[in-house]
Amino acid sequence: MNENEIQLKVQALVDGELTGREAEELRDRLETDAGLKEFYERLTAVRELMAGAELPRTLPESGDFHWSQISKAIECEERQAKHMARPASGANWLLRWVFPLAGIACLMLLLTLQQTRNPNLSIPLGSDHELELSIDDLDVMTFNTGDDNMSVVWLDYTINLQQDEIDLWLD
Amino acid sequence: MPEEPAYSSAEEPQLVEWAKSGDMQAFEELVARYRDRIYVRAYSIMRNETLAVDLSQNAWVKAWQRLDQFHGEASFPTWLSRIVTNLCLDELRRQKRARMDSIEAMEETTGPVENRMEVETVDPVEGLSRRELRERIDAALAKLSDKHRTVIVLYEFEQIEYREIAEKMGTSIGTVMSRLFYARKRMASLLKETLKRDGLIE
Repeated sequence: MNENEIQLKVQALVDGELTGREAEELRDRLETDAGLKEFYERLTAVRELMAGAELPRTLPESGDFHWSQISKAIECEERQAKHMARPASGANWLLRWVFPLAGIACLMLLLTLQQTRNPNLSIPLGSDHELELSIDDLDVMTFNTGDDNMSVVWLDYTINLQQDEIDLWLD
Repeated sequence: MPEEPAYSSAEEPQLVEWAKSGDMQAFEELVARYRDRIYVRAYSIMRNETLAVDLSQNAWVKAWQRLDQFHGEASFPTWLSRIVTNLCLDELRRQKRARMDSIEAMEETTGPVENRMEVETVDPVEGLSRRELRERIDAALAKLSDKHRTVIVLYEFEQIEYREIAEKMGTSIGTVMSRLFYARKRMASLLKETLKRDGLIE
C-alpha cells in the first residue's frame, strides 16, 4: 500500500467509513507512526471545522413571491399532464377499436356487394376461392368454401405508431 | 361549515399528510418552514443565486408531485434536501455537457492523489465568532471547483456516505475519496491564508 492509499484510508477512518479489521489495523499503526498520527489529527481538525459550518442564508425573494412561483408551476404542470393524458387516451381508443371496426365494416360491405351485384362471377361458387383486399393499415384475405358453406377472413392489422406517440402514451 | 385547519401550528407529519391528500395550504406551510434551508443547500452547491432559487422552486414542485413516495424513512426536510441536491447535480452535469469543461478536467484529481498531500493545520480562532468562521469557510468553498465543492457539501453538510455520493455523481468510491481529500486540503490551505491575512493566526 503506497502513501497516498494510506492517506485515503486515514481519511476513511476519520469519516467513520473504515470499519472492522482494516480500521483496527490502521488504528494500531497510528499508535506507532507519529507522522501518520499527526496527519490523522490535522484531518480530524479540518473535519471538525467544517462540520455544520454551512452559512445560513435567506431566500433572496419574498416568501409570498416564492410560493406564488411554486404554485403556478404546480398548476401549470398539472394542466399539462391533463392535456397530454386526454389526446393520448383518445388516440389509443381510436387505434384500438375504430380502425379495425372500420376495416371489418369495409370488408363486409365488399363481400355483400360482390354477392348481390354480380352473382355470375367467373369463379364457380362451388369451388374454393380467395379474395384479397389491401388498404394502407389493413390487410384482409378471405377464403370461401361453398362445400363447407364457410368463409374464413384473415385480418392483418399492424399498428404503426410514431415514436413520439408512443412516448406520449408512456408519459 | 368545517373549521379550517390551523396550519401554522400544525406538526410537520400532519402537514405532510394533509398535503398528500391534496391540501395546497398545508404544502404552502411546509414551503414556508423549509424554503431557506432548501435554498441554502442549492446555493452551497451552485454558488449562483438565480440558479439556486430556480432549482429550489423546481425541488418544491417535484416534492409536491412525489409526495406519495414520501413514507417518513427520513425527515421531510432531509427528503426535500435530497431532491434539491439531485436537481443541482443534474444541473451541473448539464452545464458540463454544455461547456465541455476542459479547465476543470485538468484540475480534476481522479487517479492517485499528489505524492504528498499535506493537510494544513487550521485552528479555529478564539474570538472569531461562529458566524465569522462560517463566512470564511463559505468564501473558501466558493473557490473550489464544482466537483470538489459538491463532494464536500454532500459529505459534510448533506451527510451522505461515500457510496451514495459515488452513485449520485456517477463515479467510483475511490474518486469520491480522492476528491474529498483534495477538497479538504484546499479548504485547509484557503482558510489558513484568510485567517493569516486577517491577522487571526500567525
